[in-house]
Amino acid sequence: MTNQSIDANAPDAEEIFPVEDGFSLRVRVLNDQGLHARPAAKLAQEAQKFDCDIHLVHHGESVDAKSILDILTLAVGHGSELELRAQGPGAKEALTRLGGLIRNRCR
Amino acid sequence: MATLKGIPVSAGISIGRAFFLNRSGAGPLPRQSLPETLVPAECDRLDRAFAQFRQEIEQARDRIPPELKEHALIIDSHLMILTDPKLSGAAKQYIHSLRINAEWALDKAVADLEKAFSALDDPYFRDRIQDVRTVAGRVQARLAGQPGGMKAIESRVVLMAHDISPADTATLQTDKIMALVTVQGGKTSHTGILARTLGIPAVVGVTELEREVRDGDLVVVDGLRGLVILSPDEEGLAHFSDLKYQFEAYQAGIMRGCHLPGETIDGYRIKVKANIEMLEEVPTVVNNGGEGIGLYRTEYSYMNRTKLPTEEELFQEYLDLATIMSPRRVTLRTLDAGADKFVSTLGAYDERNPALGLRAIRLCMYHRDIFKTQVRAILRASVVGNVSVMFPMISGLREIRQAKELLAEVKAELRQEGCRFDVNMPVGIMMELPSAVMIAEILAREVDFFSIGTNDLIQYSLGIDRTNRYVSHMYQPLHPAVVRSIKHVVDAAHQAGIEVSLCGEMASDPFCVPILMGMQIDCISLTPQAIPGIKRVIRQATMDDCKKLLKLVLESPSVTRTNALVQETIFRQFPDELMFYSSLLDREDSPAH
Repeated sequence: MTNQSIDANAPDAEEIFPVEDGFSLRVRVLNDQGLHARPAAKLAQEAQKFDCDIHLVHHGESVDAKSILDILTLAVGHGSELELRAQGPGAKEALTRLGGLIRNRCR
Repeated sequence: MATLKGIPVSAGISIGRAFFLNRSGAGPLPRQSLPETLVPAECDRLDRAFAQFRQEIEQARDRIPPELKEHALIIDSHLMILTDPKLSGAAKQYIHSLRINAEWALDKAVADLEKAFSALDDPYFRDRIQDVRTVAGRVQARLAGQPGGMKAIESRVVLMAHDISPADTATLQTDKIMALVTVQGGKTSHTGILARTLGIPAVVGVTELEREVRDGDLVVVDGLRGLVILSPDEEGLAHFSDLKYQFEAYQAGIMRGCHLPGETIDGYRIKVKANIEMLEEVPTVVNNGGEGIGLYRTEYSYMNRTKLPTEEELFQEYLDLATIMSPRRVTLRTLDAGADKFVSTLGAYDERNPALGLRAIRLCMYHRDIFKTQVRAILRASVVGNVSVMFPMISGLREIRQAKELLAEVKAELRQEGCRFDVNMPVGIMMELPSAVMIAEILAREVDFFSIGTNDLIQYSLGIDRTNRYVSHMYQPLHPAVVRSIKHVVDAAHQAGIEVSLCGEMASDPFCVPILMGMQIDCISLTPQAIPGIKRVIRQATMDDCKKLLKLVLESPSVTRTNALVQETIFRQFPDELMFYSSLLDREDSPAH
């Protein structure tokens, strides 16, 4: 995985909305099997690099994006839409990074 | 002398010493309460075990050559689970709040996650709990001070494992293994296939195994009844060595006769074919005297993969099958996915009641292009001349006509392309829905043969999910409604002059087969391992007795009466043949509360 490939699919600045006390971004999951073990591992790994709180929201349920177990129990299938929420230092950068990663099928 | 129960997947008896290939945990899980002063030290111990395993994983990842990068990714997800606070953090919290030892606390943390995962609808995500168990198991082993890595087997052993993966098989010293026992796994697991290939007994799904058995323990593995007997006493040992001897003598006897035709003493002939799902099983079919493939389950090529199989792939598979089996007939059942057979490439549908949902022929009609690809592959393989096709889950005329229309369409295409195929390829349907049974006379005019799928027919007729432990005791193959349904289908087929076969588990049950013979069913199709035993029963029966038994069964008002009657009669007629059978009839009558 290179940074280039993520950047190519990275969300534009206007896709990231300010909400109550942070930021929100909507992305669609394109992996064939959804966020299964490997994409979930990659996503949690990347999320852990940021200091801000990051959550994934799916069907009204919100989980910690830094926990692979949380992500797996969210059972996000192929084609589902997800909301990423971040608050704290570097929240916008985190969403840009993770949004790009998901759009790039977590490769 | 304690006994552990599991699922028998390969017949036979072995007596030997246990040897663990791997463990999820560290044997019997130690459970201790701690004084408060020891709590911080226990947390440190847990941290150290996590850290130790983490270091081992990271080192293993670095050693993986670049061409096996995929494996490095699996290791990554294990590493993330290992560092996830939902596991280690939760375990530490349990140490603090309940003042219990690290092993117990970790076990509780895993149990919490099990609950969360088991609530998921999608089987793929649900199964990821296995990764959690694997990781936690390895940490448990570090807590117990066990090193990682595989030991060499010195003498012949009963191999025990949490699970045996296809990857493990490559490195197993198969000549040193006299039986297999695993914690994980079900009827169709890889362990069973491996054991049957090696000709050794195997029991899977023994949940208590790791807690109760240690390396070097003397055990008896009863692959007939699915039992593992721990530290047998002298009497027990004598009993099982007798049984082992008798079984091996019996096995040798039925194998000698398995190539003779399925014919009763008074000359009535019934074809005995095999149900299989992959090419690798064909040698077993031929060795065990199978007279053809009565049911080829085509789902296997669609499962556990990210892309659908291509027409070429399917064609090669079917062509190989038909060629190897030629001139014996091969009946391919079109894709029977949905419900319990999950095919991820077809997507998961949000269904409240999958058994009554988009499955089998319905799913195929929904994905007409995928269905067409399969039908093309089947027709092209029919050029060998011994292929027939059947459609699953037919409920009425419309579905048959639609399927036949598609078949005609494909034939026209192939003709135009100049592809050769068998223009007279027989077309049949599965009779497994009560609606189809009721109108069997009508459906019989549309097809060349019927195949009765009793597993589903019983489920739908009695409204019983056999995998539901609260009601599974009511799953009764000889329920008068089921027997009458089968009889009705057989009679309708014969009136229309078409062949009728039966391919459910009843076909491998020696208590049910004589009843089916009494109906003069043309063919039964069963798991290849059971063919020699069933052929022996057929060859020792007379049509006269079978008809008499059928008459009594049809007159019986209740399943309780029928079962008693059948058991008494069959035991009287085949006293020596039934020692090694587990029957659908002797299910435990105690429903779970």
